[in-house]
Amino acid sequence: MHNFLAAYSWINIRFLLIGLGVTIFVSIISIFFSSIIGTVLGIIRYRKIKFVSLIVGFIIDIIRNVPLILVIFFTYFGLPEIGIKTNPLWASILALIIFESMMIAEIMRAGILSIPKGQTEGAIANGLTYGQTLRHVVLPQAIKNMVPALVSQFISLVKDTSLATIIVLPELTNHAQIIYGQNTNYTIPMFLALAVMYFIICYSISKVANYYEQRVEKRLAK
Amino acid sequence: MPMIEFKNVQKYYNNFHALKDINLTINDGETVVLIGPSGSGKSTLIRTINGLEDIQSGQLIVNGYDLLDKKTDINKIRKDVGMVFQHFNLYANKTILENIMLAPKIVLHREDEENKRIAMELLEKVGLASQANKYPSQLSGGQQQRIAIARSLAMKPKCLLFDEPTSALDPEMIGDVLKVMKEIAEDSSMTMVVVTHEMGFAREVANRVVFMDQGTILEDDSTEAFFKHPKNERASQFLNKIISHED
Repeated sequence: MHNFLAAYSWINIRFLLIGLGVTIFVSIISIFFSSIIGTVLGIIRYRKIKFVSLIVGFIIDIIRNVPLILVIFFTYFGLPEIGIKTNPLWASILALIIFESMMIAEIMRAGILSIPKGQTEGAIANGLTYGQTLRHVVLPQAIKNMVPALVSQFISLVKDTSLATIIVLPELTNHAQIIYGQNTNYTIPMFLALAVMYFIICYSISKVANYYEQRVEKRLAK
Repeated sequence: MPMIEFKNVQKYYNNFHALKDINLTINDGETVVLIGPSGSGKSTLIRTINGLEDIQSGQLIVNGYDLLDKKTDINKIRKDVGMVFQHFNLYANKTILENIMLAPKIVLHREDEENKRIAMELLEKVGLASQANKYPSQLSGGQQQRIAIARSLAMKPKCLLFDEPTSALDPEMIGDVLKVMKEIAEDSSMTMVVVTHEMGFAREVANRVVFMDQGTILEDDSTEAFFKHPKNERASQFLNKIISHED
């Protein structure tokens, strides 16, 4: 019991919260950019544009089937070799964006495939261009179907930021390690604190998504 | 003036020869009914008119645009050529009113107020003004099909294509849809191409009947001549079967 009280001193908690701040910052930026890039790549792969879709599909398959940690090694250790300077923060963010974009691209493609072809034909025959059809008819419906998969992916992403501790990104897990590295009695309390903090963020994401999903469903069921 | 002109059109799905040497001219304001057994190519043929299916050779000119010409902007054709599908294809994420207003808004840039006025007029015309704020899934098939017709009309097209518009409907719904289609056909400026098995509708409304089988046009005749004395034997057999079934 004494361990816990001492472990959760204000100095330690503050240090963890600073790490949490980095985790949230990295997550938000990665989620934002990988959503955009993933959407574009998913559409390109779906549309079967000559060569381009093949190449994009090939890249997606490679990156999706490699562990994230290797992508982090690539952006942190690999890029400087070819003259691109990085630091732990931007190397982690870049790695997460690259990796998660591929995941989101596949979720996006599956989402578009889940919408009946008639929706596209109806819109195109009605005079809409293919781009307008995607934007006004297909994507709004596809995204609704994709919400559960996207939420899982975003939750994974938040948890995956902890992998960046290996390149000493000062995020939540790294800060916890520093604390129990100085006093091994704090190991269990730090694990518990980590679990609680990750849980709160990830649970909030799924709650927000649930709320959004229900709102969309209500609108459609009216 | 011809609205639609097929000249020696060939269409293949890989090795399958779906349309064989099609020659067909449909003039402005004409109502032409396409009939034939299933798999005869009539749906494929109507879908080539607005480019939902591509053709491999020959010439297809719609509203003055050559569909095989790479410079042709297919969207320009689709603006003036509406289509009504067997399964309605209303936008599931939009209300009835939004379904009708979407294309005029983003393709024709029609003002909101005018757009809504026109949409409501069309809803009155198809007898569904009270359903304006519902979603497609809340309506019956027959109602959805009338909305789909209204949606096509909102673009003020010169030509409407109907691909088996009543085949997916309950029998008691068919009448309402055919009634709306008859009203459109009475408007002499509208060109209509209709793939259907509704012989009553064909007899009453069509100027011409085109009979297809195995990707070929076997007969193209005035409605009266076709129903009295089909020249082609295959057409005559088909007609006998359908009519004895209707009785």
